[in-house]
Amino acid sequence: MSPPQASPPPTSAGREPSSRLPDWLQPRDRESAGSGRRRLVETTLLVLVGLVLTVATVYDLSREVKVNHRLIADEHTWRLYTGHDYHDLSIDQELLGAGTDHEVVCGNTRPAAPKATTQLCLVIWGPVIDGRRTVHGGWYLAPHVEDVRADRYGCFGEAPAGACPS
Amino acid sequence: MSERGRARSRSERWVPALGGLLALLMVAAVAEIVLDGALGHSALIPKSPEIAGWLQGIGERLGYRVFLIALLVMTGAYAGLLVLAGHTQAAISKRGAVILIAALQLIVFAGPILISTDVFSYIAYARMGVEHGLNPYLHGPVAIQGDPVFQYVGHDWLHVATAYGPLYTLLSYPLAPLGVVGALWAMKLEALLASGGTLALVWRCARARELDPVLAILIVGANPLYVIYGLGGAHNDLIMMFAMMVAVSLTLVGKVTPRREAAAGAVIVAGALVKATVAVLLPFMVLSRRRGAAIVGALAAMLVAAIIGYGAFGLQGINVVAALNRDAAFVSSDSFATEIAHLLGKPGVFPVDHDLLKAALVLIGLYLAWRTWRGYDWVAASGWLLLAISVTSTWLLAWYILWPLPLAVVSRDRRLLAATLLVQALFIVHQLAPLFAPVQ
Repeated sequence: MSPPQASPPPTSAGREPSSRLPDWLQPRDRESAGSGRRRLVETTLLVLVGLVLTVATVYDLSREVKVNHRLIADEHTWRLYTGHDYHDLSIDQELLGAGTDHEVVCGNTRPAAPKATTQLCLVIWGPVIDGRRTVHGGWYLAPHVEDVRADRYGCFGEAPAGACPS
Repeated sequence: MSERGRARSRSERWVPALGGLLALLMVAAVAEIVLDGALGHSALIPKSPEIAGWLQGIGERLGYRVFLIALLVMTGAYAGLLVLAGHTQAAISKRGAVILIAALQLIVFAGPILISTDVFSYIAYARMGVEHGLNPYLHGPVAIQGDPVFQYVGHDWLHVATAYGPLYTLLSYPLAPLGVVGALWAMKLEALLASGGTLALVWRCARARELDPVLAILIVGANPLYVIYGLGGAHNDLIMMFAMMVAVSLTLVGKVTPRREAAAGAVIVAGALVKATVAVLLPFMVLSRRRGAAIVGALAAMLVAAIIGYGAFGLQGINVVAALNRDAAFVSSDSFATEIAHLLGKPGVFPVDHDLLKAALVLIGLYLAWRTWRGYDWVAASGWLLLAISVTSTWLLAWYILWPLPLAVVSRDRRLLAATLLVQALFIVHQLAPLFAPVQ
């Protein structure tokens, strides 16, 4: 497979319908050889784009690993706080602001299918210390509902203003 | 024989054995994923009717750690095999390559649906039309809540009308009466056959361009993303890619007549009526050939499709642009745009970023069109644009970065293959977070 610049000079295909076309419109089987500079510029740009994508990917991987460590601490915190060793917990990373480290972790208050009983949601933020973070407040949710304001009750601690209906 | 010659001969004796070992590693990795996945109850296996129950009892529940290790093993073995096969034909024979690819694809075919719920959306749209008399271009699967397929459709897609072309929707209609399990197997078979067809055409095109056809089918058919994500999810991208390669082979293999060019143009349109993305090939083919035949073929196919699409689904059935615009607004965490936004300290992609990415894509398209006009390989230009679409998309899924691969292996510009494989490798690297910090 030869690169475009290494190919022979432009040639007309010279097949029937296109032979009626003026010379400059004739299809070319290969690109003109050129000086090779265009290929160099293209390859340099491609390498640069590849580098940016590589750096962005590795950075994002390390960011995700950090986030996962934080989420593991959040789940551990919920289990310690409630005394329930449940694993079907849901974590909302956007409710208190995407890009922040403020999370809401919800789980059942007794053994059942996910969201099948009253749920306890904890508002958690702060640094990870000994594998857990600080609970700043929370609320309860009725069974079988998503975490929306209208279905919250029993807000406690530093739950954000307006988290529960008044 | 000189000492050097003997040493080389000795080392070359190891090449087939090493090639065989790498091939075995790939098969073992895929088998691990499928056997563990057959047990279900995994975040990597979508909720599904039990179609791989006979494989249960051998593996354990598929967790992220095992999946990612198997994916890495397969990717490493794939890379090693390609390097070996690129250096010497002794690494793997034609028969060995075909057996390896067939083994990988049949193992995945026999197993559960992997990673994605998309195939259940395909079935839901078909059942909406056939069993419930609803237009899948107007309603999401939520309109058929009582249907047995509803429980398997991905949560994100419950309210979303189909984004696929009318040809694909009509092709899926005969599968609806088969029931969910029957339709699921039929979709899996469709994907497998499309994959086989694509590989056969890759072989023919590579030979026509005097490239190594064994290496070409290995690169595509044993590709980890192609096998695990593409075929594993029975994605209709494989049908689109088959149509793409039919069009390419019509212009590369044998004597190219106006009739074949017209057929190629028509096939591209047919492919676009499965999934619209493949339409990007048409302008490059026309610019390269500069004859009316392809345009005539494409226009004729568009006319027929418009009549059938409008007749079957109304205006929404032929409004492909609306579906593309809707999907272009989605954002996934795996997209490069999101990764770069995070690198720049932003929480994610903003609306202005969508506009910038679209502008970049237009510029790339115009540059490639200019190059194609001057004689650059139209197959490579099409591959570059498909790769650019996936890299600039804010909604990137593994099967999107398969699109340029069959074109890359038969293009005259080897940089396209290197770039495509790099993008795929970066996608895999980005999946690895649960390996280092597994969230339960």
